Amino acid sequence: MELELKVNNRNAIVKEVKREGNLLTLSVDDAIYEVDIVKVNSQEFSVLYKGRSFNIEVIESKEPKHYNVNTRDFKFDVEVIDNESRYRQSRMQSKLVLNDNIIRSPMPGKVVRVFVKPGDIVEAGQPLIVLSAMKMESEFKAGQRGVVKEVPVKEGDTVDNDQLLVVIEDIKEK
Amino acid sequence: MGSIMEKKPITKVLVANRGEIAIRIMRSCREMGIETVAVFSEADRSAMHVRYANEAYNIGPAPSSESYLNMDKIIATAKASGADAIHPGYGFLSENSKFARRCREEGLVFIGPSPESIEMMGDKISARKKMIAAGVPIVPGTTEKVTSEAEAIKHIKEIGLPVMIKASAGGGGKGMRLVKKESQITSSLRAARSEAKTAFGDDALYIEKYVDSPHHIEFQILSDKYGNTVHLFERECSVQRRHQKVVEETPSPIMTPEVRSQMGAYAVAAANAANYEGAGTIEFIVDEHLNFYFLEMNTRLQVEHPITERVVGVDLVKEQIRIAEGNKLPFNQEDLAQSGHAIECRIYAEDTDNNFMPNPGTITHITEPYGFGIRCDGYVYEGYTIPIYYDSLISKLIVWGRNRDEAIERMRRALYEYKITGVKTTIRFLERIMDTPDFRKGMYNTHFIEKNSEFLLVKGKCDRNCEDIALIATYAQYISRIDESKKLNAAPSEKKETNWKRQLRKFTSRI
Repeated sequence: MELELKVNNRNAIVKEVKREGNLLTLSVDDAIYEVDIVKVNSQEFSVLYKGRSFNIEVIESKEPKHYNVNTRDFKFDVEVIDNESRYRQSRMQSKLVLNDNIIRSPMPGKVVRVFVKPGDIVEAGQPLIVLSAMKMESEFKAGQRGVVKEVPVKEGDTVDNDQLLVVIEDIKEK
Repeated sequence: MGSIMEKKPITKVLVANRGEIAIRIMRSCREMGIETVAVFSEADRSAMHVRYANEAYNIGPAPSSESYLNMDKIIATAKASGADAIHPGYGFLSENSKFARRCREEGLVFIGPSPESIEMMGDKISARKKMIAAGVPIVPGTTEKVTSEAEAIKHIKEIGLPVMIKASAGGGGKGMRLVKKESQITSSLRAARSEAKTAFGDDALYIEKYVDSPHHIEFQILSDKYGNTVHLFERECSVQRRHQKVVEETPSPIMTPEVRSQMGAYAVAAANAANYEGAGTIEFIVDEHLNFYFLEMNTRLQVEHPITERVVGVDLVKEQIRIAEGNKLPFNQEDLAQSGHAIECRIYAEDTDNNFMPNPGTITHITEPYGFGIRCDGYVYEGYTIPIYYDSLISKLIVWGRNRDEAIERMRRALYEYKITGVKTTIRFLERIMDTPDFRKGMYNTHFIEKNSEFLLVKGKCDRNCEDIALIATYAQYISRIDESKKLNAAPSEKKETNWKRQLRKFTSRI
């Protein structure tokens, strides 16, 4: 079995060479690894490599084929690249719109204030929206001058992680 | 002193709080054979304190102002459930004199000081006056409310720069400004006044001499209804960010026996001056030459109370309840001693790489530390979603060691074992604090985090091997998922292990 995985802008090929019970020999690109690997629960693996013990969590992310991988000190976002995701990626690239300034919620929270509405012209650094989470308020500012295209949330709304808050578009000089 | 001296046992306590502190209070109640009543907001139906209590009642919508701060609803719930006392925990209604008074009027025991004591110590200027009268040293500064700019400038010139401008009704760092240069005076005054007005509805200010490189050291006190007060030694709380404590320890690494007994005596005098009853904390600011000044009194249980419990061997919640029942303190000052060293680390759901932004969410996995000398006061569990409405503190890790070095090593070990996934936490950041040379040497003050920010936020390097191992685990997960789905398709009758079977397996594998 062979799998293409994307991590930190690197596309790596993981290939199984040999498997005997827990003992697994694989190649990751040009490096060979002999590991003893056991799944200890639905999201956690114990890996022994050259006598060293690693506990690694592999959690399926909300996005399909994406995994949040946690070692003791590091976190990785790993994507499985198969034909389907290759197809999606190529489509995404063609649809990618540049120069859009998109503000997304970095955490779940509540919208406490919205300063702008579609059509408003904003300057770089101008406050757009205030989110509150766990008794702390965070203000989000425009990264560049532009015109507000979309504000799909209103004051009082509860928002999820990564939810779209404000879209700013470049001003087209006529 | 109060006039009611008769003893009245408490049989059922309503805990007007949530999170770890609600559970911590209920634990002591359980040991004392006292029934517990939890209250919860609509966002907290599945919270641990609701599950732990004997009874639990919904008191309103998620925002605290409509639930945990709703005095009428809480008092009505206490009466309807037959509770004879209310424990306010910390935060929410714990330092609200109006609530303490309402309890008294309704015939409920408020486990805490009298409303008069709360009022006296809650207003910073009246507290300063009271302390001067009691002979407790205070930070040099104004003793009357400063309401005009001209007045303020005159005072600042008398005290001498640098000064701290503070709101009389203040707290939590609001309405506070440090002034180092003469040119900053006017703008800082205006900013402090407007902030105080918005936050507390009162723009009265006072001005204090700014103590450079300060330590924040506090003394735990206990007073009964009969005028007996003891102190339970100090807690060093100088590791702070945004005026919020992160790590606390006792004994303080800078303390000497002489200064300890002096400060302890002043803490007792301060509590007596406030006619205090119950558990309270006298906060001092201490400079590098061990000059100390009264800062304020917290008229409630503190977040960091467990380190005192660990080193002195006293359950503070039990003592609070016994005092509220009208019992005399079971010990004198001479009966109390510090044994070994305790450290507390506060685990917050925050993103340390992103300016400590709160990070609520669902806990996917949690592994708590165990073993000798470990206490873990938390409230989250696997599958629990931390609501966005409340504090980001999810757990307190308290360790004890025979001495400071052992306590630090034990804390490092416990943090190594502690794993929470699903939300970002401060665990790794706390590990870095334990490794910081200034902390290990015990040479730190309230500038610690700022001073060491580079060291604290630096990350180890992940080499090619470490990344590859992560990829191998991902590969294994992907393969095992495919295997599982094959199995499911082949034998639908043997579908997933039922939940109770999984629990049973977990249980039996532990024995």
